[in-house]
Amino acid sequence: METHQIELTVNGRRRSVNVKPNELLINVLRNDLHLTGTKYGCGIGECGACTVLLEGKPVLACLILAASANGATITTIEGIGAEKLDPVQEAFIDHGAIQCGFCTPGMVVTAKALLDENPQPTEAEIKDYIRGNVCRCTGYTGIIKAVQSCGCGGEHKKVTAKKQP
Amino acid sequence: MDNHFDVIGSVLPKKDGIAKVTGKEIYASDVELPDMMHAVVLRSTVAHAEIKSIDTSEAEAMGAICLVPDDVPQVYYNERIVSIPEKTYRDRLVLPRKVRHYGEAIAAVAAETEEEAFAAMQKIKVEYKELPFYTDPLEANKPGAAPIYESVFLGENKFDVVNNVACERNITVGIFNCCPTCGTRFDYSCRLDEYHCGCGIVYTPAEDDGKAFDNAEVILEKEYDLSRVYHAQMETKSAVCRPEPEGGFTLWTTTQSIHNVRILLGEIFSIPLNKINVKRVALGGGFGSSIQMNSITPICTALALKARRPVKLVSSREEDMYDHHKYPAKFKFKIGATKDGKIVAGHLTVIVGIGGHNVQAYPLLGCMAGWYASLYKFPNLKFEGTAVYTNQAPCCAMQGYGNPQVNFAVESTIDMLAEELGMDPIELRLKNYVGLGDEFWGQGPTVKSTIKSCGVEEMLERGSKMIDWYERPQPGSGDGNVLRGVGLARGFHTSGTGGPKPGEVIDYSSASVKINEDGSVDIMTPIMDHGGGTWDAAVKIVSELLKVPYEMVSLSPTDTRTTGYDVNTHATRGVYCGCGAAYHVALKVKQELLTVAGQFLEEHPHDLDLIMDKESGQGVIVTKGLDCKRMTVGEVAAKARVLSMGTIAATGSYRQKNCPPCFVTNFVEVEVDKRTGQIRVVKSVTLGDCGTTINPDMLEGQLVGGLNRGIGYSTLEEASYDPKTGKLNCEGFYDSYKMTTAVEMPPLNKIETGFASTYEPTGPFGAKGLGEAAVNSIASAIANAVYNATGVRFTKLPITPAEVVAALKAKDEGRI
Repeated sequence: METHQIELTVNGRRRSVNVKPNELLINVLRNDLHLTGTKYGCGIGECGACTVLLEGKPVLACLILAASANGATITTIEGIGAEKLDPVQEAFIDHGAIQCGFCTPGMVVTAKALLDENPQPTEAEIKDYIRGNVCRCTGYTGIIKAVQSCGCGGEHKKVTAKKQP
Repeated sequence: MDNHFDVIGSVLPKKDGIAKVTGKEIYASDVELPDMMHAVVLRSTVAHAEIKSIDTSEAEAMGAICLVPDDVPQVYYNERIVSIPEKTYRDRLVLPRKVRHYGEAIAAVAAETEEEAFAAMQKIKVEYKELPFYTDPLEANKPGAAPIYESVFLGENKFDVVNNVACERNITVGIFNCCPTCGTRFDYSCRLDEYHCGCGIVYTPAEDDGKAFDNAEVILEKEYDLSRVYHAQMETKSAVCRPEPEGGFTLWTTTQSIHNVRILLGEIFSIPLNKINVKRVALGGGFGSSIQMNSITPICTALALKARRPVKLVSSREEDMYDHHKYPAKFKFKIGATKDGKIVAGHLTVIVGIGGHNVQAYPLLGCMAGWYASLYKFPNLKFEGTAVYTNQAPCCAMQGYGNPQVNFAVESTIDMLAEELGMDPIELRLKNYVGLGDEFWGQGPTVKSTIKSCGVEEMLERGSKMIDWYERPQPGSGDGNVLRGVGLARGFHTSGTGGPKPGEVIDYSSASVKINEDGSVDIMTPIMDHGGGTWDAAVKIVSELLKVPYEMVSLSPTDTRTTGYDVNTHATRGVYCGCGAAYHVALKVKQELLTVAGQFLEEHPHDLDLIMDKESGQGVIVTKGLDCKRMTVGEVAAKARVLSMGTIAATGSYRQKNCPPCFVTNFVEVEVDKRTGQIRVVKSVTLGDCGTTINPDMLEGQLVGGLNRGIGYSTLEEASYDPKTGKLNCEGFYDSYKMTTAVEMPPLNKIETGFASTYEPTGPFGAKGLGEAAVNSIASAIANAVYNATGVRFTKLPITPAEVVAALKAKDEGRI
């Protein structure tokens, strides 16, 4: 099958990749660019583990043809908090939002997109926004709390370590 | 209880937190190696057939490496080697000559890219001789049904499979233990599976219940049907295998036990274990799905050995959903009690459709008996379990290992019994529960210990207040379209599978702990962490014991070469057993540390103590009582290096000799919409008894995660099969297999959790497990709440909207 050269700006870096017309963005990210933080969970756009930001909007990399993203700017989990942890990432660590961690990259990217759109989401808004991201471990409450804690104009209020009485 | 912990019980940053939030954590599917090939698996498109031929010529002409049944060692294995060999059933090969379920792997292909491998795979031609297939264990069990197996191995012995029965287990206690003919009491050793009496009678399970129910004033007999569900761990099963130049191979794979994978692969491929290295990588969710070696692991290994190149094999979600499920169960439960609420006898019968391979049905049935025997005191107890092969995905343990199923049958019936007796459900439970000083069956009839810590009463009392239990409505008394109800169930799980004597289940762990030259500490452990905090618990335990601050203690990357054996992170044994080993090894390190420090300080080690100095970020050795001499752990280690005295370190393995139950109590409030049939959990009070809470935040995460999966189990999830095609109705797709999302959870301020104030004397710093217990009684509590809301008792899971609407309509019309 014929390949086409596409240009992507991924996490601020210009990348040039040869792709087949049917190649999916998730495979380009994971296999060609070795950005394995974007996870494969279902391949049919149901679990959200492969969520990335395309031009700042959350998309599912398993449903996007790489060729259709030609020229686009993409942010993967590796592009968030690369130098210093993003407040959302700190909040995930502080609120028990992580267990096995396999959904975490997609969940962090989705949470970031939500907070960009809506800096002070309500609990119901958070639940609705992340309903496309499956987490089998946590029961979601830690994730919701983490996102809520960032809901003050993006400033995450860090919880201090507390001791169980 | 020691309340002066420095680290235990503190909320501290999860050690793998940064790696996980930045996407840098490496799971098996993320491993990339130079010159790596990619593999795909050809899976059966029929449910039951003999494979007449597999033609790979076209695929090979495309340059692909193909693996067919002739290419793999003809070793019959059981993918789970947790039980002792004599109790392990072996029925499978790496690639079979007969397919026993739709989606079973029959061949595999490796090529330069996954796409090329897939294209080559599509060129493989398979000829089947199709056979009748069964998606219902009752059908498969009928005399004359087509045999799914002619024979299988139990240990080294081959035996014929009759009526597709994989195994049976019949267990009795009390009067049931007496010969029904002469009344002689059987001795203990006869109790397990066969019943030989001195009078020459061999008792068979088909006998009636004899005198067991004679003293019962109330007898209830109920039936329950629990669905087959899919684990849905986020990471699909994956493996990367690299053949090594000196022979053998290195493997990165999705597993809950690196050591069992190594042992099994060594047996299958006849390779010495020192030539096989299984790397410990992060696990993207387990829930039991990777207790056994996954079916793709030896396939990937065989391909890599054949290709002599590294091979990566990542299951698609659809493949994964055809690879394993939770055990479904059909129960009949008879219970007898006196009018004042004392249980006199119970008789539980279960039939389990286990799918196309027997992964662990025998221990499952034993455990089901144990969960049942350990919920309430049944002076007379009978359990009859039958596991039947079906042409479905093989079943394996899933959080609770038979416990959620048994709990649903028992806790639903207990609620009905309370109503029948006119007694409060809490009062009935308190009258009969198995608690402090009682015998607990931690892993079936051969692994038992005496309960030494128990928070059941405390949790029932606290929980009843938190949910306003005594203000709940009368069953079915509500009107309007949305009915509200409150329900309760209690449960438990074991912590590990250790007993005073080793039983049918292998249980021990290893660890190494060393003090680095600056006073920081490395822990080497083979235990896997599902994400619930097992690794953090290991760090906290060692940190607490050596008084070295948490930040200064780390887990080393490990593999099977650098660690001693650990059986598995299963059976809620991670903290109690796995970290128990780290605790005992760290004790040795502490001893050595004090000895070396004693030489430097010119003090007897007995006169020295350790304290944690958070300001300097060091553990400090001080003289007891008078803090007149002191040295930091770092100073001791550094001086020991300069004087060439060696590294302060220890290695060891340890077996826990108890299996303490971690109890849970679940109260839930539900709303049932009569129009849509939807059940919503609007409030949950979940209390856990895990002894000392080592990771309080992560334990809360376990309870809430369990609630989430319990809501799914009770109202949504079902891996049902189409009996006409032998395929999953959802066909393996996530859009059709319904699971809970964030919106099904109750509001944050309506999810309450708490922990009993108990201390387990046999556990590390008083801790026992919790993980699996978190889910075990959720579905039971929800069903009891639905009854309270609607006055209709649902005995089949999941309780779907269609069933709710139909049942409530029938009730309104006076039909039920």
